[in-house]
Amino acid sequence: MTMTSRHYDPDRALHLLRRGCQDATATFRDDQEPAIRHLVEGRGRLLVVQKTGWGKSSVYFIATRLPREQGAGPALLISPLLALMRNQIAAAGRMGVRALTMHSENTADWATVTAQVVRHEVDILLVSPERLGSDAFRETVLSVIAPSLSLLVIDEAHCISDWGHDFRPHYRLLERLVRRLPANVRLLATTATANDRVMADLREVLGSTLTVQRGDLHRPSLTLQTLRLPGQIERLAWLAERLGELDGSGIVYALTVRDAEQVAAWLRSQGLAVEAYTGQTPDLRRIELEHALQHNQVKALVATSALGMGYDKPDLAFVIHYQMPGSVVHYYQQVGRAGRGLAAAHGVLLSGVEDDTITDWFIRTAFPTPDEVRQVLSVLDAAHGGCTQRELESAVNLSSGRIQQTLLLLELESPAPIVRNGSRWQLTSADLSTTFWQRAERLTALRRDEQRQMQDYVRLSFGDHMAFLIAALDGDPSCVTAPTLPALPTAVDPHLIADATRFLRRFSLPLEPRRQWPPGGLPGFGLTGGRIPVDRQAHPGRALCVWGDAGWGDWVARGKYREHRFADALVQACADLLDHWQPDPFPVWVTCIPSWHHADLVPDFARRLAQALGLPFRMALEKTAARPPQKDMANSVQQARNLDGALAASIVDGPWPSGPVLLVDDMVDSRWTLTLAAWLLRDNGVSDVWPLALAQTTPDT
Amino acid sequence: MTSPAPGATPSPNTQAILLLTAPLTVGRDRSTGVDPLTHGEYKRLVRHLIGLQRQPSDLLDLEALAVIEACAPIVEMGRMVALLGRGFQLSQALERWQARAIWVVSRADAAYPRVLKRRLREEAPAVLYGCGEAALLSQGGLAVVGSRHVDAALLTVAAQIGGLVAQAGRVLVSGGAKGIDQAAMAGAADEGGAVVGVLADSLERAAVSRANRDRLMAGRLALVSPFDPAAGFHVGLAMQRNKLIYALADAALVVSSDLGKGGTWAGAVEELGRSGGVPVYVRSSADGASSAGLAALHDKGAQVWPEPQDVFALASVLADADAPPQAALFESPPLRTAPSIVAGYGPST
Repeated sequence: MTMTSRHYDPDRALHLLRRGCQDATATFRDDQEPAIRHLVEGRGRLLVVQKTGWGKSSVYFIATRLPREQGAGPALLISPLLALMRNQIAAAGRMGVRALTMHSENTADWATVTAQVVRHEVDILLVSPERLGSDAFRETVLSVIAPSLSLLVIDEAHCISDWGHDFRPHYRLLERLVRRLPANVRLLATTATANDRVMADLREVLGSTLTVQRGDLHRPSLTLQTLRLPGQIERLAWLAERLGELDGSGIVYALTVRDAEQVAAWLRSQGLAVEAYTGQTPDLRRIELEHALQHNQVKALVATSALGMGYDKPDLAFVIHYQMPGSVVHYYQQVGRAGRGLAAAHGVLLSGVEDDTITDWFIRTAFPTPDEVRQVLSVLDAAHGGCTQRELESAVNLSSGRIQQTLLLLELESPAPIVRNGSRWQLTSADLSTTFWQRAERLTALRRDEQRQMQDYVRLSFGDHMAFLIAALDGDPSCVTAPTLPALPTAVDPHLIADATRFLRRFSLPLEPRRQWPPGGLPGFGLTGGRIPVDRQAHPGRALCVWGDAGWGDWVARGKYREHRFADALVQACADLLDHWQPDPFPVWVTCIPSWHHADLVPDFARRLAQALGLPFRMALEKTAARPPQKDMANSVQQARNLDGALAASIVDGPWPSGPVLLVDDMVDSRWTLTLAAWLLRDNGVSDVWPLALAQTTPDT
Repeated sequence: MTSPAPGATPSPNTQAILLLTAPLTVGRDRSTGVDPLTHGEYKRLVRHLIGLQRQPSDLLDLEALAVIEACAPIVEMGRMVALLGRGFQLSQALERWQARAIWVVSRADAAYPRVLKRRLREEAPAVLYGCGEAALLSQGGLAVVGSRHVDAALLTVAAQIGGLVAQAGRVLVSGGAKGIDQAAMAGAADEGGAVVGVLADSLERAAVSRANRDRLMAGRLALVSPFDPAAGFHVGLAMQRNKLIYALADAALVVSSDLGKGGTWAGAVEELGRSGGVPVYVRSSADGASSAGLAALHDKGAQVWPEPQDVFALASVLADADAPPQAALFESPPLRTAPSIVAGYGPST
């Protein structure tokens, strides 16, 4: 039988729990057992709202195992946070539950996992919501288990709600799957935080037979505190001083990958054992880092939200936010990771001037604009056989990220105006519904409210924070007790401020060379596309700073747009950067990208830098056609095309120097200019090309 | 008739009917699990359920096991449990269809075309998939059928008839196949007319074809099929869908037919033998290879197409056909005692 009610055996359930946690005296916590019983006996859909660390994984592993022992089909779990479930999966193994995962960070395992699923060697498959949108996954993996799936688990179920704090586009797909699920499929939805509005949405989607189990939100061991330190420099200095004084290990959260890396580098330079943990950290490295934190081998991980809700360390002593998250729910979930198994822990929120800029950017770019949607749809309308994403990039001047986001959101509409067949996008016979724009507006307004709520949180007095969070989450704040720890000092050491200032000015960013020509090649150079030969590529380069950032960003902006000359301080900064960097073989001459607009801006700077380095400067590149600025080109293909045939290598005064060269430019964006210049230089016999840019304008796409 | 909304959550009865009878194909990979019930098996199961005072949705609830056991004489339990256990697959299939603006109705739905139940009774398909304006399915019109491989002159004839149907403001019903079907449909579409295509395969592809898109969106085209939207071409399926082409129209014209073989011949002979079938016409001026087939159909009861040359003449041909004398008799179902929702065998609610 795969579907009807089954016998619940409490002794067997307890036995599995004890095997899972390797503790022969363990007993079920709070509401765990009623939840398992409900699922095994098939009493309808269940929503469990319990704070992180409550032990939901024991519930769904035992609820998978017991019916499986009676012949039921496998279970499927959807979670955005699978990378962090390694401990839980090991526990599943001890219970005899064969748990397999597939998500964006373990692609190397996919083939093995697929083969195991095809051989039916799986009891529960854990996948990210994005997998559900993949044709290949549906056809090769899901098609094997879908015909007999007996339990569907939706982790982080608040994502199903439009009002949920986490807008995950693929949860829209999941929502529709759930709405159409017949009553005979068991369903467990779990979340740690759901306010009343989210709960109402979940009840509507999950149906009238839903049973809700809800725990309380208070974390009595946590001492919360907020500190307004506007500049990055003050916050870096504060962190360096306080981190060393705190007991135990913890997490420092930053909003962006770059901030996380910068903070980690700074703290390391101050002798603290910290590491960065972000969405760009390779999978194996993440495992090492989680392990290191688990065993207190690091003082802290400096993390983005990639170190998410599934991470469970009962003795986490502190969670410090370097910047303010966009909503109370995000904040509560992250700070709530501290002190689960401790009598006392710190949760400190630092907030600075850039918080709102970053959050604003996330809010503003969450949805495509009507014009972006119109452009994409009109290109698809004109193309009778549909378009690949690459073809769209050639046809519209939007960044590839924007195009991808637009396609994704349109595809997940219901009914969808576009559909993907293989790699080609086609229009369907449905128009984009006006509810799409209404939802975008509603969500944008909601994000603004959430941002304001966090701004209110920052202004609270010490002692008021926990009650504020619980009330904001529609919990019961009356049970809140006073903080158990004194507030941390707010003063900042002026010496550390000086150090942090120097550090920021030294911090540089890697520039990875491009290895492929754009699709369609560059006909103006006789290049047909494909791989760039290794002996025509640039080496990995450096950018001094991010455009507009603290540190050097402001100096670069001032030089480019106000003074039309880059300051000597920037020359010195670049010379220092080279001194730290030590590219090998070290450049023996300096050249630069010719400017299209302020003819002498970059050559003047490069000449002064060459002088500071004691190297000769030679102009070796010239522009051969007038082109609009690269920054007006919105995606990589357009940027590459914009350069096609517009640059040439030429040495007017004497023979070509053949040794390693430092290739200087002011701004780097798509890296096409540097790629092409390196190709031209190496084609003329230059042995090595080391790119150096003053500022990086956008994150790479 | 209520227009079914693509993407709407089907009723529990429709969910159960799909689980029992539909292949629920969700990708290229055809899963080699359990076989869905054939139409014959499904009919027997429904009769049995009615006898038990049950309906298909009872197979999905908490007490389903008792009902499944009670149905064991008709469908072996292991197979039934396996079919009904495809719930997640069902929701995936519904999602896939919705993404392509494909709707699905079962006999248990009010939106199921009544005319199919009235004319085909138990032979009406349990499930109908479609795309575009469903209201066109209840407007009757002229069915035009014929061979796939015909000469240009016959294609012109088919297109002209399609155009005339459009000018008369009536619906042109056909099978979407190459040859006569597509010529007649194009003839009607070029005149801005309404068209119903009853497809034997590949509804999924037709639903996103650029050529169909504007007309689907303008409400001038409905594509329907009794087969899984991903189903490929199969002669047997093409034969089975012929009766739907006739049943959705007020009258049918056979433009060309082989003698004694082929889908057009088989479909026309079947319709001529159906009690309560629609009037079937054959062209009298046909020549060449096709004439023998048409003459034989005439001998089997097909009427001579009066060659209407204008919209008034066409309207009168269809008006004569509009009053099928016996049709009303079938409104009174033999299964009157059953709850009317049961698989739609009773009067639709």
